[in-house]
Amino acid sequence: MTRFNTNQVLGLIIALVAAGYLAMAFQIPNFALPRPIDSDLFPKVLGFTLFGLAVLLFLEKPKDQDIPDELDSEEQAKPLLLRPWSRIVITSLAIAAYALLLVPLGFVLTSLTLSFSLAWYFGYRRHSVNLATSAGVVLVLYLTMTRGMDVYLPPGILPF
Amino acid sequence: MDAFNNLMYGFGIALEPINIVYVFVGVFAGTIIGMLPGLGPISALALMIPLTFAMEPSSGLILMAGVYYGAIFGGSTSSILLNAPGVAGTVATAFDGYPLARKGQAGKALAIAAYASFLGGTISVVFLMLVAPVLGKFAVSFGPAEYFALMVLGLTAVVTLSDKSLVKGLIAAVVGMMISIMGIDLQTGTERYTFGSAHLLDGIDFLVVALGVFALAEVFYMLLSGGGGEKQPRNRVGSLKLSKGEVKDIAGPIGRSSLLGFFVGVLPGAGATVASFLGYGMEKRIARDPETFGKGNIKGLAAPEAANNAACTGSFVPLLILGVPGSGTTAVLLGALLVMGVSPGPMMLEQRPDVFWGVVASMYIGNIMLLVLNLPLIPLIAKILDMPRALLLSLILIFCMIGVYGTSFSVFDLMLLLGFGLLGLGMRLFGFPAAPLILALILGNIMEESMRRALQISGGDWSIFIDKPISLALLSIAVLSLLLPLAKQMISRRHGKK
Repeated sequence: MTRFNTNQVLGLIIALVAAGYLAMAFQIPNFALPRPIDSDLFPKVLGFTLFGLAVLLFLEKPKDQDIPDELDSEEQAKPLLLRPWSRIVITSLAIAAYALLLVPLGFVLTSLTLSFSLAWYFGYRRHSVNLATSAGVVLVLYLTMTRGMDVYLPPGILPF
Repeated sequence: MDAFNNLMYGFGIALEPINIVYVFVGVFAGTIIGMLPGLGPISALALMIPLTFAMEPSSGLILMAGVYYGAIFGGSTSSILLNAPGVAGTVATAFDGYPLARKGQAGKALAIAAYASFLGGTISVVFLMLVAPVLGKFAVSFGPAEYFALMVLGLTAVVTLSDKSLVKGLIAAVVGMMISIMGIDLQTGTERYTFGSAHLLDGIDFLVVALGVFALAEVFYMLLSGGGGEKQPRNRVGSLKLSKGEVKDIAGPIGRSSLLGFFVGVLPGAGATVASFLGYGMEKRIARDPETFGKGNIKGLAAPEAANNAACTGSFVPLLILGVPGSGTTAVLLGALLVMGVSPGPMMLEQRPDVFWGVVASMYIGNIMLLVLNLPLIPLIAKILDMPRALLLSLILIFCMIGVYGTSFSVFDLMLLLGFGLLGLGMRLFGFPAAPLILALILGNIMEESMRRALQISGGDWSIFIDKPISLALLSIAVLSLLLPLAKQMISRRHGKK
């Protein structure tokens, strides 16, 4: 069996997305009054176009820029939690946790924790500078937005 | 004389003390944000949008214009000092700017960049003033069919001028349009692609996508390609002074590239990147010493800098007069304008002259601010780049969060931001350009509306798009611009086989 190249794999995934998109486009209900153009036309055009482009991508030979570079072997040899893809996963989890805790704990606490702990995790070891910078930026942003521009940010458990 | 009177009217608005403060803040913030690796004009503008909510539209746009200029100049700074162009528009700046900095002439390189940006911006504002009203009168004759065709042309231009695969650019554009039509269809009230979620009834905010696909994706990409680290490499700044001979050397390239940059900027889709490359290429072609280009030639630095700033001004013409953004950056600007309740278009000159001429005048002031502010700050600016990357990345994340939450107050949107950040990383890894996606996202709704209105007028007859001469011409150019690269590829393949 021949192996698919990068563009072919991407082409197949995009074709599947296009098929799903088209299936949903055909379920868009018609407007009560007959009109020459209804809400489903544009999505159908987009769905078929994406499908056609997926086929073209499947047939296109990948260039160097289409294939992700090999990751640094030194980086790969690091402990599991510090490897490049682990950094993406952990940062993503931290952002998700931030989103969930933002309202109950408040903007200042969650932002300060996120900024300080991620900078630490990314390798910054001067903790006092990290804490001072994170706290300074978060507080300035919070006060500018809430007091200066009347933009609501959740205070959470802090009194201000 | 009309243009002069209008400009004086514009200066009256731009010189209001509060607007001067906004230009200053915009240029300063834009320079700082533009300097940060990965954060270009798009991110800078997106980050500043929440600030403009409570402002008068003219003040808001004046602030944004300052941010735009500042960010382009700021991007040049990291190109010159670190050989790390944050955005495509400043890639050509690094060709000769970085070798100059390596020679210990970083100060001179930054000063040339500042002068060239200033002159490029100022020369092109004069053209904007002269050309825009003429173009505005022409644009009034545009109906929905012509608008649809123009937007197709804008999109194809952005796709074809990217250095990445044409098919991938088109896929990014189609996906952008797919995202844009999510939510309730305003013409019929029908729900489309909301997956039963109330959060998606209003669709997805472009800011969530812009910050995700550009800023957050850049953070992810940096984490993947080397992570934090304690310090970035330091660079010596050196003297900022230019000799008489050097001034004479760069005068010609700045003049030529400013003109070229403006007209390239006016074309939808061309923008700063193409302008800067064309400017660099032109100077190298006509120079007596082409072999020194790429090794620290000051003409090779001045030309792209003048061209990219001139193109930024040029790109305001289609944005303000036609309501069609010619690039990802002006697409974000269009989004900001719509948020402020201003619909740019042919009627803008008559209905909102305060916004239009206020912005034109503030461009002059912005350019002067850029110079006044940046020259003394150059040694200090260089120090900001010494900020530890680990700390920088975590602060960029906070900026993204506040940008999204401050506009939508929705935790769901923060999750979407994360999703778009990961999508942006995937696009970057697999060579999909992000600019067509963001441009299509902004244009998608307007494009669909124009298409439907045109078809409603014609009773569902698609030939309306080719019956109207302007629409036919625009669509033909769009199709040709897509076919030409393909034809070139086929010809070069045949030659290769022989």
